[in-house]
Amino acid sequence: MSRQPRASGYFRTSYQADRALVATRLERAMLVLFVVLLLAFPLFASAFLLDLACQVFLASIGALSLMLLTGYAGQISLGHAGLLAAGAYSVGILFREVNAPFWITLPVAALVGALLGLMFGLPSLRLRGLYLAVSTLALHFVVVHAGAEYETRRGYSTGVIIDPPQIAGLAISDPRAWYVILLAAAAGTLLLCLNLLRSRTGRAFGAINTHETVAAALGIDVARGKLLAFVVSSSLTSLAGALFAYYRGFVSVEAFSLFLTIQYAAMIIIGGLGSLLGALLGAFFVTIFPYLIEWALAALPGAQRRASEFFAVNYAAFGAVMILFLVFEPAGLVGIWRRVQSYFLLWPFRHRPLTGARK
Amino acid sequence: MADLELRRLCLRFGGLSVLEDVSFAVNAGELFALIGPNGAGKTSVLNCVSGLYHGEGAILFRDVEIGGYRPHAVARLGIARTFQHGELFAQMSVLDNLLTGRHARIRTNALAEMFGLPGVRREEARHREAVERIIEFVELERYRHAPVAGLAFGTQKIVGFARALALEPTLIMLDEPSAGLNRDEREDLARFILRIKHELGITMIWIEHDMQMVSDLADRIHVLDYGRTLAEGPAAAVLRDERVIAAYLGRAHARPAAGAAGGGAPGGR
Repeated sequence: MSRQPRASGYFRTSYQADRALVATRLERAMLVLFVVLLLAFPLFASAFLLDLACQVFLASIGALSLMLLTGYAGQISLGHAGLLAAGAYSVGILFREVNAPFWITLPVAALVGALLGLMFGLPSLRLRGLYLAVSTLALHFVVVHAGAEYETRRGYSTGVIIDPPQIAGLAISDPRAWYVILLAAAAGTLLLCLNLLRSRTGRAFGAINTHETVAAALGIDVARGKLLAFVVSSSLTSLAGALFAYYRGFVSVEAFSLFLTIQYAAMIIIGGLGSLLGALLGAFFVTIFPYLIEWALAALPGAQRRASEFFAVNYAAFGAVMILFLVFEPAGLVGIWRRVQSYFLLWPFRHRPLTGARK
Repeated sequence: MADLELRRLCLRFGGLSVLEDVSFAVNAGELFALIGPNGAGKTSVLNCVSGLYHGEGAILFRDVEIGGYRPHAVARLGIARTFQHGELFAQMSVLDNLLTGRHARIRTNALAEMFGLPGVRREEARHREAVERIIEFVELERYRHAPVAGLAFGTQKIVGFARALALEPTLIMLDEPSAGLNRDEREDLARFILRIKHELGITMIWIEHDMQMVSDLADRIHVLDYGRTLAEGPAAAVLRDERVIAAYLGRAHARPAAGAAGGGAPGGR
């Protein structure tokens, strides 16, 4: 993890301090302000906005874990929707079959994700790039097929209904409670990822991503590193799927189409590969984008008659945005953010610092 | 005692024989130069020792056969190396490059790292301290937080050198460390190599084309040509050897042409 550009005149006196995530007073103040704003949001937000925020948090967890795997360790996976489904079905099946509480279902979901990650990470030891992507696609179809099979066998043809989780006899169904839970889950995931990336394992991911042979010659067990990336990423993804199942109170295969995988891939690309901030920005952007388009279309004259076409327009707009980002801003939203940041940092000068523009 | 010993090492890629019966022994604390024309198999020797290639014959590190080891296992024995083209992790800072080089020495696991347990934080700070000593050794203090991609080529080569040192190796293999460096940088490099030899006592295998540097610094020289051993011995004797001159160094009377074609590499003496 290399750090953000900082103004001069800031000194550290210990290696622990140099490693801190939040170092200066200003950074700490900004973080506190941001958290306060996030916590105050549900007091004013409508039910619709609250749901949107919860969706963003869920997407953030999924995007962060995919970023870990693809953006940092350099392993491409198209099994993301499958892993989300695995987490959701772990909850659904355990709840339906043995009425398991959340403190059993969530760890099991993480474990199932880890095992699937290990299994479908194995091809990464031999395959690279597109070939690896296709082999991980198998994960998607296996899990989704198994889920559909469970639904039909047990007669839940429209999907599995899950009761809200209970803490001390109280069912969590209040949207505000969910907002806080999912916010905490997303923040926790972010912290786990940040910690991992600034340690031994995170550096090994980067080394494997850049140059496998060199990484091996430096003493990094490349096979182990790749599998670890798959396991960590998959168990976090599966947890996101489990939370999604509880939040929606409903699991159905339709929710886990291949399009979902593409959306997550879009999040990390639009956000900016190789940046956790990028994953968050991408999750935010991709989640609210369809609502923005719909809202914009609804404002057009004669919108009522054309409401049936919104769906198609939305898909097309999504594709167009994806292409525009790939062509004009490969560094993603985070690239734009960094430019704005260094503009203000350098103001009134305009030259880029020689060692700056850091990732 | 020999630190590293190669016994009749052979390496073939299909029908192409890259190394044929290469044998040598490097003594502990020795600066052992490996020279020869392009394509002689110098880097292949290093790759065999690193475990990137697996040839026939025996490779012994302190009397343990390591020929079948995987690369990371070789590195964990304390065998570090640099690469001809640096091969740094361009997006990482100098500090992270060095800490990555230290991977095998750091004892933390992924789960503890994710939760940022106190043990992990202590371990990171401890290794940071060790890496800082290396940064000081190779005088990279100004660049510690700089991403490697933005550094001058000469500085990058030194970072690659430092990354190998970060492993705290007992044997270090340098693959043309001076290629692409200017005179000042070469002098720095020579100084670092001598300090490693005298202060740290690390055994070194050193591939080099700068014959001036080799004859000044190396304890012994091993000459390869077309994958075969041509000569071995102290610098003065080897560089006067008729076969070495014919295969690699060239003669003084062809000096103007040879000097230009060789890109300043071997030249006449």
